[in-house]
Amino acid sequence: MFRFIVRRLIVTVPMVLIVISLTWALIRLAPGNFYEGEKKLPASIEKNIRAKYGLDQPMYVQYGRVMGNILRLDFGNSLRYENETVNDILKRTVPVSAVIGFCAYTLALVVGITFGTLAALKQNSKLDYASMGLAMLGISMPNFVLGPILVLVFSLSLYWLPPARWGGFPSWNILLPVITLSAVYMAYIARLTRAGMLEVLRSDYIRTARAKGLTERQVVMRHALRGGLLPVVSFTGPALAILITGTVVVERIFALPGLGNYFINANLNRDEPLILGIVAFASILVLIFNLLVDIAYGFIDPRIRY
Amino acid sequence: MTETKTARLLAFALAATLISAGCARRDMSNEFFGQLEPPPGQTLRYISGSEPESLDPHMSSGQPEARLDIALYEGLVEYHPKTMEPIPGVAERWEIDEDATEYVFFLRGNAKFSNGDPITAHDFVYSFRRGLKPELASRVAYMAYELKYAEAYNTHGAFVRDPKTGRFLPASETPKPAEGGGEAGAQPQPASPAPHDEESLHRSELGKKGEDAAPDTEFHRFIHTPERLVVPADEKDRAKALKADPKLAALVEGKEFVPVRAEDIGVEAVDDRTLRLTLRQPAPYFLGLIQHQFFRVIHGPTVERFGVNWTKPGNIVSSGSHMLAEHKPYNQLVVVKNPHYWDAPNVRLETIYFYPLEDNTTMMNLYKAGEVDAVYNHTVPASWLKSGVRHVKDYMDAPENVSEFYVMNTRKAPMNDVRVRKAFNMAVDKQALADWRVVVKPSYSLVPGIFLKYPRPKGDGFDPERAKQLLAEAGYKGADGKFDPKKFPTSEVEINYNTNESNRQIAEFIQAQWKQNLGITVALRNTEWKTYLPMRSKLEYKGFARAGWVGDYMDPYTYLNLYTTKEGGDNGTGWYDPKYVAKLNEANREPNEERRMALLAEAEKMLLEVQPVLPLVIPATSWMKKPYVKGLYPNPQTLHAWKFVYIEHDRSKWDQRMPDMSTADLAELGR
Amino acid sequence: MTEDRTPQVPTEEGRSTEPHGSGQPALTPRGTPQSPPVSTRRGDEIHAFPEMAVGEGDVRTVDEDARAVSGTSLWKDAWRRLLRNRLAVFGMVVVILIIVSVIVGPPLIKAATGFQYDTMPGDSKLTQSFPPFSSPDGQFSATHPMGTDSAGRDMLARVLQGGRISLMVAVISTFVSLLIGITWGATAGYLGGKADDVMMRIVDVLYAIPYMMVVIVLLAFFGGRSPLQQIFLLFAALGAVSWLTMARIVRGQIISLKNQEFVLAARATGVSTPKIIFRHLVPNALGPVIVYATLTIPSVMLQEAFLSFLGLGVQAPYASWGSLAQEGIQNIAVFPWQLIFPGVTMALTLFSLNFLGDGLRDALDPQMRKF
Repeated sequence: MFRFIVRRLIVTVPMVLIVISLTWALIRLAPGNFYEGEKKLPASIEKNIRAKYGLDQPMYVQYGRVMGNILRLDFGNSLRYENETVNDILKRTVPVSAVIGFCAYTLALVVGITFGTLAALKQNSKLDYASMGLAMLGISMPNFVLGPILVLVFSLSLYWLPPARWGGFPSWNILLPVITLSAVYMAYIARLTRAGMLEVLRSDYIRTARAKGLTERQVVMRHALRGGLLPVVSFTGPALAILITGTVVVERIFALPGLGNYFINANLNRDEPLILGIVAFASILVLIFNLLVDIAYGFIDPRIRY
Repeated sequence: MTETKTARLLAFALAATLISAGCARRDMSNEFFGQLEPPPGQTLRYISGSEPESLDPHMSSGQPEARLDIALYEGLVEYHPKTMEPIPGVAERWEIDEDATEYVFFLRGNAKFSNGDPITAHDFVYSFRRGLKPELASRVAYMAYELKYAEAYNTHGAFVRDPKTGRFLPASETPKPAEGGGEAGAQPQPASPAPHDEESLHRSELGKKGEDAAPDTEFHRFIHTPERLVVPADEKDRAKALKADPKLAALVEGKEFVPVRAEDIGVEAVDDRTLRLTLRQPAPYFLGLIQHQFFRVIHGPTVERFGVNWTKPGNIVSSGSHMLAEHKPYNQLVVVKNPHYWDAPNVRLETIYFYPLEDNTTMMNLYKAGEVDAVYNHTVPASWLKSGVRHVKDYMDAPENVSEFYVMNTRKAPMNDVRVRKAFNMAVDKQALADWRVVVKPSYSLVPGIFLKYPRPKGDGFDPERAKQLLAEAGYKGADGKFDPKKFPTSEVEINYNTNESNRQIAEFIQAQWKQNLGITVALRNTEWKTYLPMRSKLEYKGFARAGWVGDYMDPYTYLNLYTTKEGGDNGTGWYDPKYVAKLNEANREPNEERRMALLAEAEKMLLEVQPVLPLVIPATSWMKKPYVKGLYPNPQTLHAWKFVYIEHDRSKWDQRMPDMSTADLAELGR
Repeated sequence: MTEDRTPQVPTEEGRSTEPHGSGQPALTPRGTPQSPPVSTRRGDEIHAFPEMAVGEGDVRTVDEDARAVSGTSLWKDAWRRLLRNRLAVFGMVVVILIIVSVIVGPPLIKAATGFQYDTMPGDSKLTQSFPPFSSPDGQFSATHPMGTDSAGRDMLARVLQGGRISLMVAVISTFVSLLIGITWGATAGYLGGKADDVMMRIVDVLYAIPYMMVVIVLLAFFGGRSPLQQIFLLFAALGAVSWLTMARIVRGQIISLKNQEFVLAARATGVSTPKIIFRHLVPNALGPVIVYATLTIPSVMLQEAFLSFLGLGVQAPYASWGSLAQEGIQNIAVFPWQLIFPGVTMALTLFSLNFLGDGLRDALDPQMRKF
């Protein structure tokens, strides 16, 4: 187990470096730069800027500097927001994205597992059809449509909830983004849970448990759920990684100061250090979450060993 | 689940949407747009546009930053809340010499920074020199190039001195290089009319201007010596420049080069309360220019102590009516009243929350829900205006200090033919465009019609017949000699614009116009902003490219000088005419306001005759404010001096319509 | 039923469909194991969110393999089973209806009312958004059954035209993703060992690169000839991004198949490696791949909408359902029909596609059909 974790962590480093190198190359290939604006800058001013940021040095020197920064885990200052370091930005924005992401995922887990389990227990009942139909609708409804509709109803017609902005945690502001974000996940989890449960419920050990005379409740809570939730667990790792690294659409609709919002703008602004910092952070996070999921398997399913 | 259930579900979803949408629609007929609950006390919540790049006034160029900087920093002059004219700021009064090259400002004695330090002329000297420092690499440093030797300093220039005599070579001695100045770091065009190289002669001329408001000083004499020759200080750059200009090379042979220092710029603190600015050439619009954030005063010791972090809360020392309390990027920026501000008794807003937001829908949602009290300009989508939103009482608009136009690639066929350019301009019914966009005005010239004293030349109007005739003359004709759209190389022309809802709608409209009026279908092409900019500036586009310019100051020159540089593609047209530049310089030398405006108009007429631009509309500042927000006026730039703004809690005094803009007297604004 | 599974299937990052109670799934250290085997049903983790699919694929149980070997009757059976699934048939009918109306609709509308997707009325009083079934003076009128957009263009024509683009995005991007994904995944899976390791790590790396930058660069270098060409480029770009998950799935399939007797037999008789991969292995792995392809479609359509939102998508005056919905959202408070019609059409299509995909999966996997 330990060796497995160490090996996985070691592979992470060169992979992140390759990702960063390729991303850097892409940024340099993309047209435009961070300083140009509507009015063409006089050549002299452009020259000052290029000198200040070392853009007049040979490419290999610039590349070396980028790599050095990555290895020190210090990405320098953002080009657009000059007095902010990339690390500052990450420190500030990750919690925002993480809070929204965790809340949405928790909501999705609670609702999804409840309805998925009920649907599996009452297979082919009205409840089953209704919850699976809703789940299907959740998957089919793009969140950039769902979000504005929720805002229209709850903020602009009923005036119950604020339509946008970050108000810290906890606050009423996060309710709508959390619901918007969780809809799709809720739908997936419900479907995954139902499928997993159906399979487990027919398996031998559940039959044994029932034969032992355990109540249906005990069978479900103690035995079935444990096995039935494995697909949900495997889904959770990458889902959480994506949620924490920012969910661009929801952050934009609700004007949240999260990582996703920054990332899109960093791309559009060609803010090189910020793009690289976020990409590095996100890829490390995805790899670590996958690892955590693997470790979690070991606890949930005792048959899995490393 | 069966089909019927699916259908029922869908029907339900649809019904819910329709019902809620219906509710929203009914609200529209209300007198005001959305909730009307003023925040407690003197607090304003304002949406200021995208997240400021920097709170350092030297490091930002945009309006979103300008809105914040007006609260944080004060300059020599401030914007009039209605007319945007310069009104006294840190300077109580000022005197301008008759050819508008020397400005003397008298600062008020009670002006203080937010830490209590007095604001003196030396602080302004520090600010200007720091903004121009080449190592700072400010993107807006060009705004201060009007100051004498500012460009030379900012671009690492050097004076040329004869080692034998110790005399500096004046610019007037040099053979004029090819018009436009050529390479980076080239010398500014000497525009002062009478070059004298005799110091004595110059002194006598100074004597003539002896009524000068401030005493003569050594620096003053230096700055009034004839403009010195400037060459690049860097050896490699200089070698390149000299190679390109053999005559210049011969002239500087064997001379020594003295780098231009910050101390050489035409900025002088005559005493603590007197600041003298000397310009390289006449600039009657200069007072309007220095309202810009670049010229606002910053606190030197703070900048030196904290470096790039000096604008962070806790570090920053500000000079404006308010000071920074909190800055959470992408979320909010809070400023509170500055107790040391000289006009503090008249500042009413205790706290301003600035929300950085870009998405119009989100903004209007927040506004409607009563979460913000006012928004910046262009926030009400044009398509809403026909639905009644225009008639709510909190809607604001005014003709704007902005021009929206297409530039044409004049270096590439078929747009290199002036007849073709003119034809495409004439084939757009701009009145119809303006009617569709509701609050905007049709535009036939580059300069918007907001400058009352400016005799705006009228460009070509809508005339599809003449357009076809011109195209036929340009060779796109059938056997009968009439215009034949099939002969036109449609694939060589497209409308380029950067991604934006309003740009797209206008482009679609123009496309339909040309299809209808000329029978030519021009393709549309939208590009993401940073890809778009180099494509336009390097003339890598075909046909037309969208452009817009927000005036830096209230003078036609801010538009006309867009096309005065040859380098870098002239803002995407490829058109450059030294005669046009000469005409503009002549205008700026003209002390008489009326004649100056006439000369500027002549220059614009020259521009319109060759039509490198296709004027579209003059936008309107389309925004909203709650009726309880007073002192926020629909001015042409939607830049507000926050010290005039306050929250009115007495319902009977709320604004019931757009504020009256006719009275410009400050006394009537409660001053 | 699974006790005779021959070599322990490497289930790196994958899931075996092996029912509970069978032997221990083993971790084979082929490459860096991404996640241990876990028991679950096929298909449910393959979803409309390719970025969500964790695994590098499903692994078949032996009886499925037996079925796969049995050849053509599989497809006939599957088709028959599909037709018995009412929801899947419903999905299929709706999808076909939408495709047909998208193809024949625009010319019909042009013939009936004279409106095309980009027809803007010349009269400036008409260039505004009118509600469905109403004429400019507020009377009932059948000219614009879905109303008009802010420029006075017929919404129905635009929704149908948008459907053409959105469905084309779906088909072409999915095709590109299939093409690259199958080739890459099958090669990696069959070769195994170091080659597999390297190839899958490349997939991981590509996965982490911001695809927005990729699209920006692609459009900058190859874009800009004509709006139609840009659309095709966009399709290719989207396909080029979504093949990654496809490759993982194919690889998982191939690994589970490659030690089957028929492959060993082919190898013994000297069939070349490419031939084994593409003649013998890939056809047998197509079932789950087709299912996954159905589910890629909605995700690609949503991504296109997002790219259009950022200005990297379709060029005006063309529209896609995504870009129409984006525009509608901005005007939702004033002209709700601008969102409702494209939004509902898009949701209905995705809804039907999901049903069809589920049906296909069940049809190809009879064991699971009852769920």
